[in-house]
Amino acid sequence: MAALSTDPDFHLNAFERWLLGALNVPEAPQPPDGSPDSIRVFRAGRNYYLWSILIWAVGALGAGVAAVSVSLPLVLAIRRASQWGEIAAVAALVLIWSAYVVIAGVTFVSRRLNYGLRWYIVTDRSLRIRSGIFAMSELTMTYSNVQEIRISSGPLQLLLGIADVEVQAAGGGGQREHGGGGHVGRFSGVAHANEIRELIVDRLRHYRDSGLGDTKHVVTPPEVGDLAAAKAVLEEAVALRAALATPP
Amino acid sequence: MSPEPLPAHIAAIERPSPPLWTYYVLQAIASTVAFPVTIVLLYFRYHTMRYRFDAEGIHMRWGILMRREVMLNYSRIQDIQLRANFVERWLGLARIEIQTASGSAGAQMTLEGLLNFVEVRDFLYSRMRGARHVGETSPAMGSNESLAGVLTDVARELRAIRQLIEARGSHGRTEH
Repeated sequence: MAALSTDPDFHLNAFERWLLGALNVPEAPQPPDGSPDSIRVFRAGRNYYLWSILIWAVGALGAGVAAVSVSLPLVLAIRRASQWGEIAAVAALVLIWSAYVVIAGVTFVSRRLNYGLRWYIVTDRSLRIRSGIFAMSELTMTYSNVQEIRISSGPLQLLLGIADVEVQAAGGGGQREHGGGGHVGRFSGVAHANEIRELIVDRLRHYRDSGLGDTKHVVTPPEVGDLAAAKAVLEEAVALRAALATPP
Repeated sequence: MSPEPLPAHIAAIERPSPPLWTYYVLQAIASTVAFPVTIVLLYFRYHTMRYRFDAEGIHMRWGILMRREVMLNYSRIQDIQLRANFVERWLGLARIEIQTASGSAGAQMTLEGLLNFVEVRDFLYSRMRGARHVGETSPAMGSNESLAGVLTDVARELRAIRQLIEARGSHGRTEH
């Protein structure tokens, strides 16, 4: 599990190692078939981690405000509540805050691991994107099916110098939960979006037939076999007529 | 060109494996109030689910009252997604979601309950358009192949008829 993360500076602590084992998270993905020297593995930029933690902090802050606003009336109620009411209120407070701590902890660890365990593999024929801890997903897509490439980033991402590269295949829908839905391969939070785009565009050039539709080489002319067989039928038919025409 | 032979371990896949039923039971339990309905639906889904991999594509069907049958061609696969949540991973399962170029965001076919999901995924990948370079592609030409086969059979029949006639003719000639 030591070399599991794609970021050499990202170190898993003992608890995270244990968690990965307990959740049965598979090892690093195998690159899809293609020439071995063309394989390049990208990862989310270091700032994606920062961005991810910032998003988490904002969420935690919001949830904290909500928890406080629920707790305040309870604290006020304790003063004038009966003995049982007091116990109920204290129990509710304990419940709310322990839930808050647990959820904040779990989401923090999952954000960390989500950053660390992310692979964007690009070969000369296809790409494979693996992400996710609790729910893992591994997407494989060939360049032949790529319709468009899109780079997008929000203001905060621009500031941090990261962007999402989306490789779109034909078909509708697209954005489903976590962006892992159908038809889209998403390189989330990469630092060198342009480099990745250039690489994919360059490799796409070798697939001028990329997109929908059949490729020419798929339909190799099978006429040779058919024609030969048809000629054999014709020969037999001629011979048959000749045999019939021969006066007995 | 004959269609590329199907690997034996792929051709052998017919039914989902038993851990899928365990997963379905857990899924039904997770649905709490809806448990009685969910468990019945999933029971039939599990027991009627059938897969068939052939030279050109995958056939999948399930259901008794509401019967569903999905067929798709390997060469029409747009992307393949392997998904597994931690419960599925504990059971050794994963879903293979196959997308074609249709208008829905969801997967067009979800292969569930396969224990050798990585092998199946790699097999599907190898049959996808663009997974091999030009020249490497061996198209599945089953119908054309059989057309030549049929023509050959016709020729053989004609030859047999001619031989019968010739035999009769020569027989008649000798009698004459």
